[in-house]
Order: sequence, then C-alpha cells, then structure tokens
Amino acid sequence: MRLDVDGTIGPTVFRLLAVGCVLILTASYVSVLLDVTRVVGGTRTLFALVGSMLVAATILARVIRPRTATVAALVAGVVGFAYYLETSGLGVGVVASGTGALLEDVLTLVTGMPLLRMIEAGVWTLAFAPAPIFLSWYLAVRGRYASSVVPGGAALLFLVLTGDAGTAVTLIGTLGAIGAIGFGELERRGGSIAQADLIAVLFALIVALSLSVTFVPAGPATPTTAGGASDGTLEGTIDSASERSGISGQVDLSPEVRFTVESDRPSYWRTGIYDRFTGDEWVRTGTERPLEDGDELAGPPGPTHQHRQVVTAETELGVMPAAPEPVSVEGDVAEHTEVSRHGHVHPTTTLIEGDTYAVESAVVTPQPDELREAGTDYPDEIRDHYLQRPEETSSEFEDRTAEITADAETPYEKAVAIERHLRSSKEYSLDVERPQGNVAEEFLLEMDEGYCVYFATAMTQMLRAEDVPTRYVTGYTSGEQVDDDEYVVRGLDAHAWVEVYFPETGWVAFEPTPSSERDSVHEEHLEEAQDEDDLTDETDDEPDEESDADEADDEPDDATDEEGDDAADDSVPDVDDEPPTTDSEADPRDDPSPPGGPQGPIDTSTDDGDDDRELSPPVVITRELLTITAVLFVGLVAGVHRAGAIASARRTVGLFWHGRRRDPTSDAERAYRRLEALLAREYRPRRDDESAREYLSALETRPGDGVASDSEVRTVLERYERAAYGGGVDREDADEAIEIVDRLTRERLPVVGRSAATGR
Amino acid sequence: MTDVDPTPNTTDEPPVDPLPVASVATLCEELAANVARVIVGHDDVVEHVVTAILGRGHVLLEDVPGVGKTMLARSIATSIDCSFRRVQFTPDLLPSDVTGVNVFDQRNREFEFQHGPVFGNIVLGDEINRAPPKTQTALLEAMEENQVTVDGETRDLPDPFTVIATQNAVEPNRTYDLPLAELDRFMKKLRLGYPDPEEEHEILARTVGHHPIESLEAVTDRETVVRARETVTGIRVEDPIRAYATRLAGYTRENAEVGASPRGTISLLRAAQARAVADGREYVIPDDVKVEAPVALGHRIRTVDRERDGRAVVENALERVPIE
Repeated sequence: MRLDVDGTIGPTVFRLLAVGCVLILTASYVSVLLDVTRVVGGTRTLFALVGSMLVAATILARVIRPRTATVAALVAGVVGFAYYLETSGLGVGVVASGTGALLEDVLTLVTGMPLLRMIEAGVWTLAFAPAPIFLSWYLAVRGRYASSVVPGGAALLFLVLTGDAGTAVTLIGTLGAIGAIGFGELERRGGSIAQADLIAVLFALIVALSLSVTFVPAGPATPTTAGGASDGTLEGTIDSASERSGISGQVDLSPEVRFTVESDRPSYWRTGIYDRFTGDEWVRTGTERPLEDGDELAGPPGPTHQHRQVVTAETELGVMPAAPEPVSVEGDVAEHTEVSRHGHVHPTTTLIEGDTYAVESAVVTPQPDELREAGTDYPDEIRDHYLQRPEETSSEFEDRTAEITADAETPYEKAVAIERHLRSSKEYSLDVERPQGNVAEEFLLEMDEGYCVYFATAMTQMLRAEDVPTRYVTGYTSGEQVDDDEYVVRGLDAHAWVEVYFPETGWVAFEPTPSSERDSVHEEHLEEAQDEDDLTDETDDEPDEESDADEADDEPDDATDEEGDDAADDSVPDVDDEPPTTDSEADPRDDPSPPGGPQGPIDTSTDDGDDDRELSPPVVITRELLTITAVLFVGLVAGVHRAGAIASARRTVGLFWHGRRRDPTSDAERAYRRLEALLAREYRPRRDDESAREYLSALETRPGDGVASDSEVRTVLERYERAAYGGGVDREDADEAIEIVDRLTRERLPVVGRSAATGR
Repeated sequence: MTDVDPTPNTTDEPPVDPLPVASVATLCEELAANVARVIVGHDDVVEHVVTAILGRGHVLLEDVPGVGKTMLARSIATSIDCSFRRVQFTPDLLPSDVTGVNVFDQRNREFEFQHGPVFGNIVLGDEINRAPPKTQTALLEAMEENQVTVDGETRDLPDPFTVIATQNAVEPNRTYDLPLAELDRFMKKLRLGYPDPEEEHEILARTVGHHPIESLEAVTDRETVVRARETVTGIRVEDPIRAYATRLAGYTRENAEVGASPRGTISLLRAAQARAVADGREYVIPDDVKVEAPVALGHRIRTVDRERDGRAVVENALERVPIE
C-alpha cells in the first residue's frame, strides 16, 4: 500500500483511468437496460447498438465538433423514440398532437414506474440507449470528461428515478462519474497520485452515504430478500408490490382472516394478473385506468354466467379479490377502483377493515370439447403480450416441455398435460430454497418440491414455450365455508395459479399445484397457529381442554369432508378432467379447512423445525459486499493519509514516550517538540511564523497557571535553542530536558499523572 | 573629548581579543542604562543603536524635529569614551567640509591634511537630508569603505567608526531624499516617535535646569567596544537561521517593487548577532532575527505604491514566512 506519494504520474495513466471511469458509468446504465432486454428480448440488438455507438463516437470525435455531436445525439434519440411510438401503436403523429401525453409517459416513468412495466419496454430501451452512450463517449474521447459525465449521469439518474437502477448499480455508476471527473481533472492539471487520494475519499464517502441513505426508490432492483425476511408469508411474497409478484424461498402462512365473501358458490378469488416474467419475479405491464362509475368491463368473449359476490375486508387489503372476470364493481369502494390493462380491478387506496363492495363477474363456462377445438387463432394483442419469456431460457427447458406435451395436440391438451405432469412429479412444500436464475426452469429441471408460486410460474412458462398464451395470476382460494353462502378467507389461502387463453372463450384457469398436499400443509399451519394461540392465551390450560378448543375451532368439518373427497379426485386428473373454474359444482379442492381434528396438543417436531429455519439464513458474503468493503477500506486509508492521522498518532505516542535516545542535540530538540505537542494539546499549537520563544512567551501571558510559566519550560527552551542554533548541547543538558518533559507529560496523564505528581 | 586624536585603523594592529559574551551583555546593559539617564523612554531604540554599534553598522534616525534624535546620538557617544564628531548638514555644505582638506602650512611649506569631522569614532550626521547629494555621498562612501580619499590619498577611518545620521521627516520640499542605494548602507533606520504623556512629563522635569547630558559620564572605552565587536563577529549563525533570513528577504522581493538586498540580509544577520550577544547568547535564534528585521530591512524596500512603508512589508513577511 506504500506508494511513491510524491511521484507524479504521467497524464496518460490519468487519461486511461478517466476513460475507464466513463466506461464504468456507461456500463452501469447499459446493465440496467440489459436487465430489461434479457426479459423482453433484444439483448443482441442492444449490444450491437452500444457497440456501434461507441465506434461511431470514437470515429466522429476526430471529425465533428461538440455542437454537431450534441445535435446528432438528439437526432438519434428522437429517431429512437419515433420508432418506439410507431411500434407501440401510437404513431409518430402523436408527438405533434399530444406532446402532453408523451410527457406524461416520461413523467410516469420518472416518478417510479419501472421500465419492465412498460408494454413496449424492449423498444423503449433500444430507443433510449443510443443518445447518452454516443454523446458521453464522444466527449470522453475528446478528453472532456466532466461534460461526458453529464449525458451518462442523466441517463443513470433517469433509470434511478424509474426505480430500475438498484443501489449497487447506481453506486458503481456514481463512482464511475466521480472517477471520470476526478481523474480527468488530474490529467488536465498534471496531478500526482497523492492528490488521487481525494478521489478515493470521495468514493468511500459516496459508498458510505449510499449505505446509510436510501435515495434509490424501492424498485425491482431491491430484491425481495430471498428467504422471505421482509414479510416471510406466502401472500407477502405474492403481493410483494402492487405491480409485481415476487418469488421467494421458504415462506410462512398467516392464519389471519383477510376477507369474507358472500357468494352462492365458491371460486378462486383473483387479486392480480401478471404477464411479464423476468426470471425471478412477475411484473404487470401497462398502467391502470380508473373505473368510471357504472362502467361495465368487457368480460370474456365466450359464453359466461353471472356471479355476484359481496366482499368484506377483515384487515387492511391492498387488493380487490374477485372471481374472474369482474365486469362491474358496486359500493363505496367502486369510485376508488381502477382496472388494469389485463382486466382485473385494483383499489387505488388500501381497503380498511369493514370496507365492502359487490362485484359482478362474468365467469366463463367452457366445456372441454369446446376448449379442445378452440384452435390457435389468437388475437395479435394476446399473442404479443402473453408469450413473453426471459431471453436466456434454455433449450433444455423447451425440450423437456416438448417431451411432456408430446402427445398433446391442442393447446388445451398441452395445458392439461403440463398441469398433470407438475402435479404428479413435484411435491408440495413451503420450505424450499429459492433457486438462482430462471425460477421456472430451475423448478422444472432441478427442484423436487415447491409451492403454488413455483408451480404456476413453471406452468406459465412451459405453456408459453409451446406458444400458448398464458398468464400468471394470484389471489386466494375459496377459503373456509362458514355458511351456505359465506366464505372466510385467510392469509394462508393465498395462492397463485395459471390462466390460459382460448380463442372465443377467454381466459380459463388451470391449477398446477397438487391440491391435496397443499391442503395438508396449509392445514398443519392453521393448526399450529391455533395451537399457538391457545398456548399464548391459556398457558395453564389442561391438555384436554386444549383439544376441546381445537375442536371448537374446526366448525366446518362437514363441509370440508365432502369437499375433501372432491379434492382427492381432482388431484389425480385425467385428460378429461375439467379445468378448475369450469367445474361449477365444486371446486373446493383448495379449501384449506382442516379435515380432521388435531393429532395432538402440540407438534413439537414442527416447532423444532421452525427454530432451525430461523437460524438457517447464513451470513452470505457477496461479491458486492466485498467490493464495497474494499472501496471503503481504500477510502479510509486515503482519508487517513489525507488527514495525516498516522502522523498525528505518531505525535501522540511521541508525546508520552521519548523513545530511543540518539545524540544529545537531537534529543534536546525532540524534548522540546514533545513539550510543544503537549502545550498544543493544552493551549494551542505553535504558528508557523512563531519562534519557539515567542510561542512560550505568548502562552505565559495567558491567564491561569499555565505550564509555560514554569522555569523548567524555559530550561527546555534554552536547551532546544542551543541544540538547534547554538551548535549542540551535551548529554547532561539533553537528559535534563528530556526528564523535565517526561515529568510534565506524566503529570498530564489522566490517572498516572496524579500519583506521579504527588510522588514527586 | 572632541580633540582626542582619532586612532587610525592600521593593519599592523595586533588581533583583538574578543570579550566574553557575558561581559558584552553587561556592557550593553550599562550603556543602555547610562543613555536612559538622558533619554526618557525609547529603550528599544537605544538598544537598537547599541547593537548597531556592536554589529559594525550605521544608524539612520528619522523623525520630526525635536524628539531627541541628536540627544540620543550624543548620549551614546558620551557613554563611550571615544571621539565624537558632529556634522550639521546644510544645503551649502561641501564634501570637503565632511572629509577634510589639505591645507598648505606656511611654516613647513608643505600641505598638511586637516581631518574632517568624519574622522571620529562616532559621527553624528545631523539632518543629513538637508545637504545636496554630492555632500551626502562623501559621508556615505566613508560609511561603506571605512576610509576616505582626499586628493588621491586614501586615509583609513578610526575604529570603531559608526555614523548616526538623523533625517528630518517633515519639510520634504527643502530636503534631498537619500537615494535607495545610499539608504542601503545604513544597518538600521529607526524612529523615535513622540513620547507618551508621562515620559514627556519626565523629560521636562529632567531638562529644566541642568541638562543631564552635561553630567553624563562614559561607562566604557574605545578598546572595550572594539573587543565587544570582535565578540559579535564570532557569534554562531546556524544554517536554519541563515535560511530563515533568506526566506524573509525572498518574501520582500516577491511582495515589493524593490525588496531587501543581499547587503540587507548580511546587515540583518549582523544585527541579530549583536542582539544575541546583548541577550547573553553565543548563537543567534530566530527571535533575534525577528526583532531586527523590521528596522534592518524596512528602509531597503520600496513598495509598489511608494506610499506604504517598507516596514509593513517586513512585518507581513514575519507573519507569513515560516521559521522552519
């Protein structure tokens, strides 16, 4: 770490460093864009675009002037966005007629709408990239590093505002920007490496700031903490944010009642529809529009029957559960309702306990035969948006899917084949470790167990691989039937399943999760929760009373018994098995009501398991963490170097300890320096222009019994002057000076001083 | 006293035996105390004059008339048992009036040199800026060379030879300002300034009736002064001190139209040596330099606006230039 601090570094080195930093800044926002294209496609185009922009900027840097370059960049940007508008079906004409709308679009992005939620995110990305890359690289090549940071920094800032650039990327980009300016400046002024330590300090400062202040809006880049530390419940994961649905590892189930539904038949209560899969989470593209009063939604194209539900929130709810497809909402909540591009309703504000609304849903009533014959004549709109898969989906995944659906010819058969395959080949478990990479792929190829999120994700992606438009939906299962037409839905009923599009019919739900297993797991959790409640409520209760209480909680035994049978049937579906929602008779397979009484008062083994799980998250040292630590360390060292802390530490030690004696002259000088340091701590340091004598005299005139009034101090001064200006002192005189200073410092040591002073 | 034959500074004189530092310090104290019997206040100026004499320098006293410039010079001269000459500079004063002339002796029928007033151990050049430059030059050359040349014959001046010149700071229209080159020959330029009320009261009390100068007696003699001067020459000036003086001079050169000359730096260190001796030390410390710098360098500096005092530049230098 010992550098030749005084050595000047050739400007070439600084130039390379500055250019490197500009590249880092560029790489930071390009990496954000890459994240988008990896999901929606176009990575290769993006790379080509970046490469050609860099080449073009390098060549043009020698040819055109900055103003021309700026114009060229603007033109590139305008052309890009014109193409985007053309693609997204708005047409370039919209710019002339509705600049406001375009601005609104940008505003929406800047106020935190992630790029991935844009319908044409890929095209947008390609439109966005060229201008800043070209301009910043052009300026960097021309050696104008500070200016080159402006377009690059603006691009990064924009991505920060959309929430796409995560903390780490922003950090790296910022460091690149600072580095570019700093090193560029050093190059221009011919600085030395000693001055570069300021840059290191700045780096560390930025890192430290970014760790303590969260400037980056909580966006997708803020991972939904694997391991479920944020919420840890299944529904928390599913509804990790209003427009996205995360996938996490091990989750818990909350037995809390979320809402009740008055409905003449059970249904899955859908809360969200997601179309874009990033590999580790689901994103809903597009924006919501407010639901006008009395507005009727289109509903499915095929035959439907009406299904009216009255939903009452029992806790705060950020979603509006409704049976698919809702067509109208009544009640107070209605005016706070908006509808997504995909046709589901969402509340604009959080529903509070007691909020009630009535939903009219148009439920599709397809017959398997109809579905088989539905064909593949999908509308373009459906084809464009519900076939997306992350770019790097492996061929193995596709091969496996093709293998599973080998015998199926129609989309319906494929869906059933996949559904059956997943149900039969994978176990249900809430205790899984979240895989790295593409979750769908990992689940299909590597994992043996998972829960609904994994099943639904895998099925959606598999069907898309087979060119069947599919979407991932979240919501709740029908819940516990407490009355003829009343269902109580708890947190543990949170669920995710799949909807497949059939022309002429609409979206039809499929259930890839093995129901019976799910039931038993959920059941256990409900029991556990109940047991724990009992324990906390009545700790002194006798065991038999507890079991009474448990039985009392299990009211809907009757209902669940018969439904349990259905569930058993459904869990082994055959090709003729009807998709879940088409079965109007019964679809309570996911009703989590406990079918039987508790097996024992407390399941200790499960408790132990819980404890283990709590301990399990290991401290993971990521590369990111290492880098940040390294930057902080280097910054600290540089800061210490800058602040002269080492020298000051040496001074402090030297103050109390004279150290090895050398020749008398330097010892006498040293004694005086120690005295000076001592006085500097007590009064003030000596000014540069002040002689030793002036300094001590100045202290003498201070009020109070200063050390400077001591005649001993005069002796030290005299010895020093003689040593420094009078040709030296002898051993005896030097020793006397050292002794005096030793005593003076000892007296000033907090504890030792007292005893030394009194012992004198 | 005025008729004491000045002893020529001949080369065959045996080498002078330097006095111990302590005795020189005592000597300085005695001289200052003796002068203080006449001069009220101005202890620092007195000390400066004494150290200038010991440092082989000449002193220019500049002030308004009547603050005791001449009295100070006389008191010092009286305190040392040596020859004291006084030249009253007037516009019609001729160079030969200062240096002396060859006079034809009728009896011996040959020319005989009539020593001018410059041949004294301490020469008071009163109101030096009233004489035309030609006459000023006669004195200033003597100051630099320690010798005068009359009619082709060079004559050494006595040892010690110290000029204390006074200069009138008012009436600028009727004076010939000393050129910078000639000012440079003075080791120090000092100012007395008006006494404060108590001091003035004291002056009045002393001078009404017999003036104390009339009863002032010498406290030392020429021999001793010569030996003390030798002591000062042997005072140690270590490298850091020389470097400090160089830095100070460098600062004035950077911050004024004309900065301190190398001659100025030499003078400064000589003055500092004398100051060290007066303080009883065998070596110069930065404080000696700091005390002497304003008076030793200030008059050699011409500021850009010509109005500002060169002393201010030196004061700035002392505040800005680090000691080590």
